[in-house]
Amino acid sequence: MRSSISSSDVAADATFVHDADAHERAIHARETASDRPGVAQPVPLRPVPKQPWARIFVGMLVLFALLLGGWEWYWRDFGATPGYRNSFGLWAIQRRRIDAGEGKATVIIGASRVYFDIQLDLWEKLDGERPIQLAFEGTSPLRFAEDLADDPNFTGRLLIGIAPEVFFSGYGYRGGTLKYFRDESPSQRVGQWLSMHLVEPFFAFYEPDYALATVVQRQPWPDRPGKPTRLDVRKLSVTDADRNTHMWGKVENDPDYRALMRKVWSQDFAPSPDDPKPGESDKKRDEQIDRMVKAVAKLRARGVKVLFVRPPSAGPYLEHDNQLFPRATSWDVLLAKSGAPGIHFEDYPEMQNYDLPEWSHLSYADAKRFTTALHAIVVRDFWQPESNATSPP
Amino acid sequence: MVFNSLTFVVFFALVLGIHSLPLPWTTRKFNLLIASYIFYSAWNPPFVMLLWISTVVDWYAAQGLVKARREAARHAWMLLSVVANLGMLAYFKYGQFFVDNFSALMASLGVAWQPAHYDIVLPVGISFYTFATLSYTLDVYLRRALPARNFLDYALFVTFFPHLVAGPIMRPTELVPQFEQPRRATGDQIRFGLALMTIGLFNKIVLADSFLSRAAERIYDSDKVPGTVDAWIGTLAFSGQIFCDFAGYSTTAIGAALCLGFAMPDNFRFPYAAVGFSDFWRRWHITLSSWLRDYLYIPLGGNRHGPFRTYAALLMTMLLGGLWHGANWTFVAWGGLHGLYLAVERVLRSRFSNYRPGPLMFVALGLLTYLLINLTWVFFRAKTFGKAWSVLSGMVGLNVGAKPILETYYLVVVSVIVAGIVIAHWLMRGRTLESVIARTPAAAVCVMWSLLAFAIVIAQGAGNAFIYFQF
Repeated sequence: MRSSISSSDVAADATFVHDADAHERAIHARETASDRPGVAQPVPLRPVPKQPWARIFVGMLVLFALLLGGWEWYWRDFGATPGYRNSFGLWAIQRRRIDAGEGKATVIIGASRVYFDIQLDLWEKLDGERPIQLAFEGTSPLRFAEDLADDPNFTGRLLIGIAPEVFFSGYGYRGGTLKYFRDESPSQRVGQWLSMHLVEPFFAFYEPDYALATVVQRQPWPDRPGKPTRLDVRKLSVTDADRNTHMWGKVENDPDYRALMRKVWSQDFAPSPDDPKPGESDKKRDEQIDRMVKAVAKLRARGVKVLFVRPPSAGPYLEHDNQLFPRATSWDVLLAKSGAPGIHFEDYPEMQNYDLPEWSHLSYADAKRFTTALHAIVVRDFWQPESNATSPP
Repeated sequence: MVFNSLTFVVFFALVLGIHSLPLPWTTRKFNLLIASYIFYSAWNPPFVMLLWISTVVDWYAAQGLVKARREAARHAWMLLSVVANLGMLAYFKYGQFFVDNFSALMASLGVAWQPAHYDIVLPVGISFYTFATLSYTLDVYLRRALPARNFLDYALFVTFFPHLVAGPIMRPTELVPQFEQPRRATGDQIRFGLALMTIGLFNKIVLADSFLSRAAERIYDSDKVPGTVDAWIGTLAFSGQIFCDFAGYSTTAIGAALCLGFAMPDNFRFPYAAVGFSDFWRRWHITLSSWLRDYLYIPLGGNRHGPFRTYAALLMTMLLGGLWHGANWTFVAWGGLHGLYLAVERVLRSRFSNYRPGPLMFVALGLLTYLLINLTWVFFRAKTFGKAWSVLSGMVGLNVGAKPILETYYLVVVSVIVAGIVIAHWLMRGRTLESVIARTPAAAVCVMWSLLAFAIVIAQGAGNAFIYFQF
């Protein structure tokens, strides 16, 4: 392409951003469009610095491999093993199953307790059908219930886990899940597939807890006056490709790590100036219940069987749950208003005396016990073949 | 797809492999064109049609411009291109903005009119490729260049994936000639291109996303009122984040193009070492500032019609440049502030034309420039004027009694990284990256490259979109 220059425009340009001293311009080794006003720009220059690039490249690869190997070794020594990331993309894969011919399946929504405590392998063995796990840690199931209520493809059974602190407050740690699911681009879907096949099953370090910035942030920084450092929740679980999840062995077996996790939860047990005022908290709770009631009505009108489950918590966390949202004004109201049945762990002798290493989630072994007990109760009292849901005993 | 994703790594490896095959040059260009459409469709496949519309309209407009015998016909062809491109931009980017503002205007006149919310999805990179294709017809219209000789070269210029969605905003004369002759990257070009991509991705994934973005988010995306330290740290964090994000994208794009054997121009030249605002705009988003100068400021009259018209053109250019960044009045304020800075600087330069600062004053003026640039970033980052005023009040110490928001970690990390960026810019302000690398011992280059690559991998980026994708 031939270009020509309009000289008047060159002169005019001097005002906009180019009236700096000429000597300043000259020190740049390479001109850009900013140095050539009002003309058709020529093919840019992009020289390669003189260096032994082939040797540098090989050396870089070797050093990179050594550094990465060392990093992987460090985290494996810490106790980490390769596993699947509990990402939006992984959730979206499971959510799509409902619209791809599995609309009659049993679906689990809720926060981390039903996510960790219900073991899909065992449920499948007992039930003959593997549930779709759509629970997300720290995230109220309300929006997921509303999403399923709006999806005519879903006609199966819905098990809704209720963690009082999360559900009745409307907390949404993974609040962007549904937006991601609806807007997920082809590139993101391909990336998820690649990650699940090329990275996640092989590298233990590939885990949000071990990301560089997270590691730096978790160093013992001194407290800023008036703003003490808050401990973040650490890695608690191990996830399979279909989001079947159980507690990570380190939480169960490493006393220091377990103590750290208890310390993390304890931060929320003491009253804080940031806590919502009692009136606000009650209003929020009632809003959550009312919206859930509407979603449940919509689901049941379509023939979906809905069952609420309150998984166990223990020790100070149970006290905190009960103090924050007493059963009589939260769980009982939810069941009464929605008309849907529910299983509260306190009501069943077979759901007692569990091991909850950090007070909120079951150990792997007891998650299996809980799954067995839960399935037996569900089949016995609620979801018998060809029967409608009934009230709890 | 975004550069900082596993999808792109695989995509780029495939493109590089296929492009290296001993195929005819036309076939290799065709492969690049297909790859570029795949790259764009990976976000939202239907939007590739907008790309086609933009491409075809400007191709025929340029042909029409050359064949037109009458000046009126030339005007008509040019207007067709401008209206088609800016029309698409207006609908997708500013449609809701116009409707909302019209509604607000009606309300202020006592007319209650509540328009529907249209939920228009903004096609990624539309601001960039409409400017690139516009420059094609405008260069032909202004008789600066002839149209491309064949459609494939032209379509590849518009669509070439390294620059497609976030620049550098290429001019046809920079890229089309490179497509006319067979080119093959040398081994050293590929390796240096990969090194540039590593630097770019380090800026984006490690510095911008991992270490700086959260501090800015905690100040600008919360409803808490920041005190002086928090307001400054949040704003400094954003100044570092936006540079590392956008310069990181440009560097990665330049590296990707180089691996394929093509040269793209610099888009940044160590802007936080700028002394004065005209200097800043020669260093920041160079391809946009020069585009605005060549196709807006100069056609508006530039400095050819006296001081009043000059200042008016300057302000109009910067206000529209602000609006180009986003459909929000805060962006207009950002552009207006830059226009004001440039106007004041112009007055001072003419008033003190013989003044030459000493070394200390030179650095002091540079730091003053950086400080004033940070004030503009407040409007760029804040979603509302209320938030902008809240942060600005904090920065000047008016939010007395504000509770601390950021923990020690953020104060230290942001201070260290942003100070590092500013110092690096001052050390590099008169040099190019290439000249520095050429003088660095090979072993040091090797170690630095491996450390950057290692940091990228262990940072575990979440594939966050680049900030400029939304513009």
